[in-house]
Amino acid sequence: MIAVTTYLLRRLFALVPVMLVVVTIVFLLIHLIPGDPVAVILGPEANAQQIEDARRELGLDRPLHAQLVRFYARLLRGDLGRSYFLDRPVTQALWERAEPTLVLMFSGLFVAVLIGVPSGIAAGAYQGSAWDRLLMMLALLGVCVPGFWLSLNFIYLFSVRLGWLPVAGYASIFQDPVAAARYMLLPAVSLGFSQSALIARIARSCMIEVLRQDYIRTARAKGLAERSVIYLHAFRNALVPVVTVIGITMAILIGGAVVTEIVFNIPGLGRLIISAILRRDYPVVQGVVLITAAAYMLINLLVDVVYAFIDPRIRYV
Amino acid sequence: MRPRTIPWTAFTLTLVILCLAGLAPEAAAQKKGGVLKVGNLGEPPTLDAHWTTATITEVLAQHIYEGLYTLDAKSQPIPMLAEGMPAVSKDGLAYTFKLRPGIKFHNGKEMTSADVVASLNRWGAQSTYGKTLYARVAEVRAVDKLTVEMTLKEKTAIVLISLAVPNNAAAIYPKEIVDKFKPAEKATEWIGTGPFKLVEWKPDRHIKMVRFDDYQPRKEAATGYGGRKVVYVNELLWIPVPDAATRVAQMETGELDFADDLDLNAYERLKSSPGVQAIVAKPYYWLVAVFNKKEGLMTNQKLRQAWQAALDMEPIMKNVAGGHTDLYRMDSSLAFVENAPWHTKLSGLPWNEHNKDKVRRLLKEAGYKGEPIRFMTTQEYKWMYDFALLSKQQLEDAGFTIDLQVVDWATLVKRRNNSKEYDVFTTGMGNFYDPTHHIYLGPNWPGWTDDEELNRLLTELAREGDYKKRFALWEQVTRTFYDRVPVARYGDLFGLRAMRGHVKGFDTSLMRPRFHNVWLDK
Repeated sequence: MIAVTTYLLRRLFALVPVMLVVVTIVFLLIHLIPGDPVAVILGPEANAQQIEDARRELGLDRPLHAQLVRFYARLLRGDLGRSYFLDRPVTQALWERAEPTLVLMFSGLFVAVLIGVPSGIAAGAYQGSAWDRLLMMLALLGVCVPGFWLSLNFIYLFSVRLGWLPVAGYASIFQDPVAAARYMLLPAVSLGFSQSALIARIARSCMIEVLRQDYIRTARAKGLAERSVIYLHAFRNALVPVVTVIGITMAILIGGAVVTEIVFNIPGLGRLIISAILRRDYPVVQGVVLITAAAYMLINLLVDVVYAFIDPRIRYV
Repeated sequence: MRPRTIPWTAFTLTLVILCLAGLAPEAAAQKKGGVLKVGNLGEPPTLDAHWTTATITEVLAQHIYEGLYTLDAKSQPIPMLAEGMPAVSKDGLAYTFKLRPGIKFHNGKEMTSADVVASLNRWGAQSTYGKTLYARVAEVRAVDKLTVEMTLKEKTAIVLISLAVPNNAAAIYPKEIVDKFKPAEKATEWIGTGPFKLVEWKPDRHIKMVRFDDYQPRKEAATGYGGRKVVYVNELLWIPVPDAATRVAQMETGELDFADDLDLNAYERLKSSPGVQAIVAKPYYWLVAVFNKKEGLMTNQKLRQAWQAALDMEPIMKNVAGGHTDLYRMDSSLAFVENAPWHTKLSGLPWNEHNKDKVRRLLKEAGYKGEPIRFMTTQEYKWMYDFALLSKQQLEDAGFTIDLQVVDWATLVKRRNNSKEYDVFTTGMGNFYDPTHHIYLGPNWPGWTDDEELNRLLTELAREGDYKKRFALWEQVTRTFYDRVPVARYGDLFGLRAMRGHVKGFDTSLMRPRFHNVWLDK
């Protein structure tokens, strides 16, 4: 237990310099690309004088290094600044979008795992069979088909033609779980389908590799049923890389399934960062990247911890 | 007597019955209640009407706020919060505005001259139109609780129209709000006197407005953006839906009652969709290529004239409008047809010439040797990119070398303020309600038109009070414009919006949507 705690603390401390580098790079990148939030706020008919006045008001006329120092100072106080467009602190804007993003992430992940893991295991277990070829063709399709195309076709079929589900929108699961499920079904399936492809392919190759191991041959030699060989011996050992992929998928989805959120009009982090980049809402871009980077690292840490539960041979040092 | 009385009585009775029959269906149809869901393209940068010229802010803010004046169906100023038209002193330097009594703000406070003075001063310090007017204003003061006087430094014809324009409008806020948010600071509390009251703004989810029960409608019939405003719906829900295809699909399924800024390619689909009415929004923008006249290649007037002479507008406009001839209009007037007082019908203007010989001659006279012309556009507004791309093809056929630079909108609006970074950029021009408001004719807007003759004519236009003389000056401005070519004017592009069949009372002739006097029949 002490080893786990020490390991976790060491990993958490290691996050600090990484986060610092990430936020600095993002700060510089977003400020160095051309574009001006003030010109966007003031609208197309604003003149240069109005733009200058507003830049001064927002502190954008200061040298970049002064703005960076101010950003660090705020960050140390836990203040991510204030959005130029949303008229509220960035932390509040992020908090408001946490629920839609997390709900979308977990539902997308649920669909991805539900499709990806059994398909991959089945394809691997019956390598070369018709099932294997069919499932891998579907997986290839999942990787190749653009997310927006799939989403738009789902909308056309299930919402416009059949009228079974709403086109777009979001309802809180805490306020109206039934409406929330109706709104989330199409986004979760279209997101989960493309993510399941990667999981299926990794699960298949891991399964094939494990099934070639000596202990599997031994298990078969001692007369175990094929089902027991696959589910009791091979499956668990094939899981470690699959869990890694699931972790990566989860981290990607935290950053925002941008296209899905835009097409299905889900007010999450992906939509927030896209509009923030387009409008050069610097504090919001920095805030979302900071949260996404932290989520990436924490999920990686979580995945490392989970390894030990799946495979007792793995030890923390 | 009796034989004569009966026919008259019968006639009067018939008339009354007919009148009632005519009125009855509408009166019966106007239903109170319901939630009107409107899909728009995104979030406004602010709801502070003084702060931005962004169209989305104008549309939303005009439901919350009102000014002293607004525009009627003919784009003429009519009173809104002012009781009537102002009393103007004989020398034309003092305007006295009487305010309507009993007007309440959404916070319950009664509007007085103190609120009006504070709001106008803030608007004059921040708004594009306010600054133009306030350059000529000496003082705005409260005479008594319901009287405001504006004193001018010089006589000008633009007082009323400036107070009436809906964009970057002279909205009246409570004085406390004005005191709290100085002009250069965006107001983040939104309290007005309008028929709708803002109750919730959840970015990326919705902006919720409800009927303002203490609203005092005017007695006059509804016209344009003014007159009698009645709110029938309980709630007006603005839902930002950034994806245009999603907005169209939501209209088809009835998830939205109304959608604005739709992709022109969806026109046929919407027209054939049951229960949906496609609305062509006129006017929308005239397309424009703005030349950098401060430095670089396009400071050369001959080169600008050559650009103008090279263009064949019809195929460009047809293509931009997705092939629909009812979604664009070929017109050379600087004011839209809908802006009747300022629409000109001049003949012989060098517009839409596509005259290759003339182009060759002008290019030679300009001393142009095929240097690349940096033409900046964006794909964020598809119509801008489309007309830039088609222009490039036509211009290169005529002998130009075009370096088309495609950037995002935020980059474009920044770079266009730096004269070193471009030669030409694309944008659209909306409806300017007075000749002096045409920003591209003046030196303070990107492109920097600083032409002696245009400046003289515009100064005259700002001073002159007689409409006929002003119109003659405006025609001179138009002729000078086509000679100097500060920008290249393309055709008029229309917008596309849609509403469900149960939405009644919406005025489709308005350039920007308004939802007072609209009810849901379902």
